[in-house]
Amino acid sequence: MEKLFQAIYGGILYGSIYGLMAIGLTLVWGALRMLNLAHGSLYVVGGYVAWTALNEWALPALPSFALGVIAAALVGLLIQVLLINRLLGRPSFFNAAMIATVGAAIVIESAMLLIYGPRVKQMAPVIPGHFKTLGVVIQYQGLVIIVAAAISLVLLSLFLRKSRYGLAIQAVSQQMDAARLMGIPTVLTFTIVMAISAGLAGLAGVLLSSVFYLAPTAGFNPMVKALVVTIFGGLGSVKGTIWAAYVIGLLEAFLQVYFGAGWALPGLFLFMMIMLIIRPTGLFGMGEVQRL
Amino acid sequence: MIQDTTVTESRFNSISKRLDWAAGPWARTNWVALGIAIVVALALPLVLAGFATGRFILHLMILFFTWGIVTQSWNLILGVGGIFSFAQVALFAIGGLASGVVSQQLGVSPFLSIWLAPIAATIAALVIGLPSLRLRGPYVVLLTLAFAELLRNFATQGPAWIAGGGYGLRYVPKLGFEEMWGTGMGRVAYYYVGLLLFMIATYVIWRIFHSPVGMSFRALRDSETYAISRGVDPFRFKLLLFALSAFFTGLAGGYLVHYNGAQSPAILNFPLTINLLAMVVLGGWGTFWGPILGTALLTVLPEVFRAVDVYRNLAMGLTLALIAVFAPQGLFPLIADGVRKLLQLFRKQQEE
Repeated sequence: MEKLFQAIYGGILYGSIYGLMAIGLTLVWGALRMLNLAHGSLYVVGGYVAWTALNEWALPALPSFALGVIAAALVGLLIQVLLINRLLGRPSFFNAAMIATVGAAIVIESAMLLIYGPRVKQMAPVIPGHFKTLGVVIQYQGLVIIVAAAISLVLLSLFLRKSRYGLAIQAVSQQMDAARLMGIPTVLTFTIVMAISAGLAGLAGVLLSSVFYLAPTAGFNPMVKALVVTIFGGLGSVKGTIWAAYVIGLLEAFLQVYFGAGWALPGLFLFMMIMLIIRPTGLFGMGEVQRL
Repeated sequence: MIQDTTVTESRFNSISKRLDWAAGPWARTNWVALGIAIVVALALPLVLAGFATGRFILHLMILFFTWGIVTQSWNLILGVGGIFSFAQVALFAIGGLASGVVSQQLGVSPFLSIWLAPIAATIAALVIGLPSLRLRGPYVVLLTLAFAELLRNFATQGPAWIAGGGYGLRYVPKLGFEEMWGTGMGRVAYYYVGLLLFMIATYVIWRIFHSPVGMSFRALRDSETYAISRGVDPFRFKLLLFALSAFFTGLAGGYLVHYNGAQSPAILNFPLTINLLAMVVLGGWGTFWGPILGTALLTVLPEVFRAVDVYRNLAMGLTLALIAVFAPQGLFPLIADGVRKLLQLFRKQQEE
C-alpha cells in the first residue's frame, strides 16, 4: 500500500514537471509547426537567472523566480524575432527553423558556461523540509512544484479559451490562412506563443533547479522527455499533452517503484512503442490533419 | 559515347524501356576532374603523414569519411524519403557493437567481422521499419527515438560484454595497421580503407539518386497518394529505403569501432544526433552533394574555431543559426545557384 502511494505521489510530481516543459513545445508546434530544440536552454536560462537573483542579489524567493521566468520569456522572444520570424513562409521552414533553434541553443548554453562556469549549482528549496504521511516522504518543494504546475496549466488553458490573444493562438493553430484572412496578426501571435512557451520552460527551470542540479546543459534531458510527452499526447493538442504528461509521469513512477529504477526508462519506451503501433497518431492525435 | 548508348539502350529495350540510359548523369561524367580528385585523394595522405599536424588532419578526414557515409545514408531517409527517422545513430552503434563484440569475444579477425556490421544494422532497420511504416511524420520521430533510447539503455546497463560496466566497448581489436607500418603510415592505411568505403557508399547512393528507385522514393515523399496510384508500392519501397540506408550506416559503425578500438555508449546521446542532423540540413537536405558539404563543414569548423578558444561553441552556434536564417534550404543549393549565375555572367561577357 505504501508503494502505491509512493508511486502516485512520484507520478504526479513527474507529470507536473513534464507538463510544464511539454506544454510550451506543443503550443509552438501547434501555432508554428516548428520543433523548438532551444526549449531546454530556455529552461537553463530561467534556472540561472533565478539563482543569480536569489544568491547574488539576495532578492526574496518570489521576485527572483519571477525574474527567471521573465528572462526566459525575453530570450524566447529574441529567438523568435531575430531568427524565426525571418524564416516564416520560406519553403524549407521546418528544417531551417529547427537548425536555427539548435544554433540558438548552442549559443545560449555556451554563454551560460562562460558566465557561470562549469561547476554545477543548486538552488535552495522555496520551503525546506518534508513530512511523512501514509508512509510516503513528501518534500514541501515537491508540493510547491505540483501546485505551481497545476496553477499555471489552469491559467494557460483559461488564457487559451477566454482571452482575445488565446483565441487568436487557437485560430492560427487550426487554420492559419483562414485566421490571417480574418485579420489576426499571425506574426504577433507567433511571437506571443513563443514568449509564453519560453516563460513556461523558464518556470520549469526555476522550480526544478532546487530538485536537480543546474548546469549549462541541464535542460537537455527534460527537453527530450517533454518531446516524448508532446508527441505521445498528439502534437499540437494541449489537452492531449497535459493528459500524456501525467500518464507518462505515473507510468514512470509505477515502473520505478515496482520494478526498480533501471526499468523505468526501457519500460516507458517499450510501452510507447506498443502504444504507437496500436494508436499511430498519439493519445489525442489530430489524425490526418495536414497543412497544405 | 554514341556506341555506349546504343549498347545499353538495346539492353534496356529487351526488358522494358523505363529509363533512358543516356539521360543519366553518368553520361556527362567529367572523367578528367574525377581522375584528378582521385589522384589527389590517394596522394594527399602520403604528404600529410610526415608531420604531426598532417596526421591530425588525416584523423579528421577519417572522421569525415565515417560521418559522411552516415549523413549521406541519413539524407536518403530524411531528404529523399521524407521519413523522420532518428534511429540513424542507433543503427551506427549497432554496426559498431556487432563487429566489435564478435571480434573481441570470439577472436574473429576484424576484417571478417566488419561485414557483420552492415548486416546487423540492416536487420535492426527492418525491425524498426516495419512498425514505423504505419506511422507518419512526428510519430515516426517518437518511435525511432524510443528505439534509440532503448538501445542506449542497453548499451550502458546491458551485459558486461556489451556495456563494459558503463564504459562501453573497450580494447576492441583494431585493423592492426599501426603494428605493421608505424603510427604515421598506419593512419594512412586507415585513411585508404575509409576512402574506399566512402567512395563505394557515395557511388551507390549517387546511383540510387538517379535511378527509378530514387524517383519512386521522391514520388512517395512528395505525394504518397499519387505515387501509389501510379503503381509505387509504398511498403516495399520504404522498407528498401530503410534497409539501404542502414546498410552503409552500419558499415561506417563497424569501421569506426575498429579504428578507435572502442565504442562509448555516449555516442547514443542526443547531441551527436543533432550534430549529424545539422550536417544534413546545413549542406542542403534532399540534394546529393548537401550532406557531403555539410559533413566537411561541420568537421572542419570546430577545429577552425579552436582559434577563438573559450568562445568556440558560441561562434559555432552563431554560425549555425546564421546559415539557417540566410540559407534556409542549405548551403549547397545556394552555392550551386551562385556558380550558375557566375557562369552565365562569364558567357555573356564572352559573347559581347
